Amino acid sequence: MSAEETQTATLEKEEETQGTEKKEEALPIVRYRKVSKSFGENQVLKEVDFDLMPGERVAIIGPSGSGKTTLARLLMTLEKPTSGTIEVDGRQLWHKEVKGKLVEANEKHLHEVRGDIGMVFQHFNLFPHMTILRNLTEAPVKVLGLSKEEARERAMGMLEKVGLTDKAKAYPANLSGGQQQRVAIARALVMRPKVMLFDEPTSALDPETVGEVLDVIKEIAAEGEMAMMLITHEMSFARDVSDRVAFFDEGCIQEQGPPSKLFVQPESERLQSFLSRFNLGEENSQ
Amino acid sequence: MVPIDVIAHIFDRLLPGAAVTVQLTVLSAILAFFLSFLGGFGRLSKFRIIRFVSAFLVEFFRGTSLLVQLFWLYFALPLLGLELPTGLVGILALGINYGAYGSEVVRSAILSIPQGQTEAGIALNMTPGQRMRLIILPQAFRTMLPSFGNLLIELLKGTALVSLITIPDMTFEAKSMRTNAEEYTLQIFGILLILYFIIGYPLSLLTRWAERRFSVGRS
Amino acid sequence: MAWDWEFTINEVLPQLMEVVYITISATLVAYLVAMVWGLVLAFARRSQFRPLSVAAYWFVQFIRTTPPLVQLFFIFYVLPRYGIALTPFVAGVLGLGIHYSTFLSEVYRAGIESVPKGQWEAATALNFSPVQKWKTIILPQAIRPVIPVMGNYLIVMFKETPILSAITLVELLGKAQIIGSETFRYVEPITLVGIFFLIMSYGASLLFQRLEMRLDLSKK
Repeated sequence: MSAEETQTATLEKEEETQGTEKKEEALPIVRYRKVSKSFGENQVLKEVDFDLMPGERVAIIGPSGSGKTTLARLLMTLEKPTSGTIEVDGRQLWHKEVKGKLVEANEKHLHEVRGDIGMVFQHFNLFPHMTILRNLTEAPVKVLGLSKEEARERAMGMLEKVGLTDKAKAYPANLSGGQQQRVAIARALVMRPKVMLFDEPTSALDPETVGEVLDVIKEIAAEGEMAMMLITHEMSFARDVSDRVAFFDEGCIQEQGPPSKLFVQPESERLQSFLSRFNLGEENSQ
Repeated sequence: MVPIDVIAHIFDRLLPGAAVTVQLTVLSAILAFFLSFLGGFGRLSKFRIIRFVSAFLVEFFRGTSLLVQLFWLYFALPLLGLELPTGLVGILALGINYGAYGSEVVRSAILSIPQGQTEAGIALNMTPGQRMRLIILPQAFRTMLPSFGNLLIELLKGTALVSLITIPDMTFEAKSMRTNAEEYTLQIFGILLILYFIIGYPLSLLTRWAERRFSVGRS
Repeated sequence: MAWDWEFTINEVLPQLMEVVYITISATLVAYLVAMVWGLVLAFARRSQFRPLSVAAYWFVQFIRTTPPLVQLFFIFYVLPRYGIALTPFVAGVLGLGIHYSTFLSEVYRAGIESVPKGQWEAATALNFSPVQKWKTIILPQAIRPVIPVMGNYLIVMFKETPILSAITLVELLGKAQIIGSETFRYVEPITLVGIFFLIMSYGASLLFQRLEMRLDLSKK
C-alpha cells in the first residue's frame, strides 16, 4: 500500500489550491501535457494542459462537443491520444519509459496504471446479465483478487452508502435510471480508485431521479478522499461540489478558477454567454 | 383404408434409421458448435491474417453447397488417397458446413453487445480475456441461442442428404423399403416426414421460447 | 491420382456448361414458386377465417421442419401413383419452391408487421379500398426492408439445387456424377461444380450487398 502512503503524503503537503495558482511541492495525481485528440479531420482536443491534484474536485463545464468527455475517456484509456502525454500519480499512462525514451504502452502497462482510475458513465453500462451484487463483486474478485466474502462485504457497504441494499439481488433491468446510476457509482467505488471520472452522470436520467444521483455524488465528494473530475451540465451542482471549475470550449480550457469566481465574475465572453443560458444563484441553490 | 399393421411395420423399420439420424444430428451439432466459435473468434481476431483466413474458409464452406461437399468427400477424396469411414464423412460435411453458418451467428452476436459494456469492463480494469469471458460472452450467448436453434433444425433437415452417400439414416431406410413395397410409397414417405416433424418441432418450439425469453426484459 | 487439366478442360467443362442453364432455371422458377406461394401463405396466416389461418400455420411449421429432400421424394414418387406424373424438373421446382415458400411467408409477415400502424390508419382515413391499401400503401413499404433477406433466400435456394439430382434431374451435380461414373474420375467434375457454386453464390452476395447499400442510401 505504498501508493496510498505517498498519496496521503502529497495531501499533507498540499495547501489550499487556489484556482490556477499551485504550490510547487504538491504533485498532481493526474497531469495532461499538450494532449491532442482528433477523430479523422475533427480535432476535439487541442494541446490541453491540465492538472488534477489529489483529493481535488474539478467540475468541467462547456457546450456539447467541446471535448469534455474525450478528456475523461483518454484518462480511462477508452480513447488513445493523438499526441501529448498523460501522467497518473507520476507514471506515464499511454507511454512507457524504455531506456529514457517514451514508447507506446502495451495492454499490460495500461492495466497497471488504470487501476487508479474509476469512471461513471452517462449510460451507466451496468452488466445486464448479473445481479446488482454481482455487478459490484465481479471486478473486486477477478481484478483485485479479493475473496468472495471480502468483496461481498465491501459491495454491501457501498450499496448501503448509495441506499440500495434491498436491490442486491435484483437485475439492472428492474431498476430505475437513477437507481442504476447509483449502482454504477458504487461499482466504480468498490475498486477504490484514486481518481473518479463522472461523465455527465445525470444527462440520461429522468428529471425526477437526477436529485438522488447528485446527492450520492455530493456525499462522496464531501468525504474528500478521491480526486474527482465531474463533467456536468448541472451548473448549481458544479458550483456546490467543486473546488475548481474548468470551462471547456473548442477543445481547450478557456477559463478556470474557483466556482465562487468563475460563476460570479466570468472573464471571457464565451463563458458569459454560456452561463447566461442557465439562471444560477437565484432560486435553485441548495 | 390402410391396415394398422402396415403403419406399425413401417415405423418399426424406420426407427433404427431414426436413431442414426439423431446420432448424426447430435455429433455434427457438437462439431458445428465448436467450429462456430473457432470461426467467429477467428473473424474478430486482431491479426489480419487470421481474420482473412477465417473469412475465406467460412465463405468457402458456405458457398460450395452442402451436398457438393458431401459428394466431394465421399467420391473424390478416396481417389486422392484418403478414404474416410462413410459415417465420418457425413459428420464432417454437416459439421463444417453448419459450423461455417454458425460462425456468423457467433460473430454478429459478439458485435451486437453495446460498446459501453466493453468500456465498463475497461473502467473496472479487466483484462481483454476477462472482458470477453465475464462480460461479452455471457450476454452474446443469449443472443446466439435462437439462431443456434434454427441452425440445429436446418442441420437435422440436412442429415437427410447423407442417405445419398449410403449412410443408413431414416431417409435411406425409407427409400430402400420403398423399392420392395412401391404400393406403400405414400405411407412410407408420409411417416418419414412425420418422424422428422416429431424430432424437429420440439426444437422449433424451444427456439421460439428462447427467442422470447432472451429478447424481452433486458435493456 | 493427380488433377488432369486436359480432361478438365476438354471434357468436364464443356459437359457441365451444357447443364448450367438447368441449375439456373431451376433456381429461378423455384424462387418464383416460393415468392408467389409464400405470399399466399402470408395472407392465409393473416386471414380472419380461423381454420384457414390455423391450416396455414401448421402447413408452414410442417414444411419448414422437414427435409426438402424427403419432400422432393414425396412429390416425385407418391404423386405418380395417383395419376400425376411430373418431370424431374417440375417436381424439383415445386418441391424446392414450396419448401422455401414457408420461409418467405415469414419474411413477408415480418415486412408487413414492420409497417407502422399509422400508415394503416392513414390509408383508412383516406378511404382507400382494401386492394388499393395493400397495393399502394402497405406492400411497397413492407417489401423494401426485406429485400436483402429475399435476396439471401435466392442464394440459399441456388445452393440447394444440387439435391434435385436425387430425383434424377441432370443439373450440375447430377452431370458431375454421371461423368464420374463413366470415367471413374470424380475429383475434377465435383470440384468444378463446387467452385461454380462458390463463385456464383459469393458473387451474388457481393452484388446484393452493394444493392442493399444503394437502397440504404436512397432511403431517408
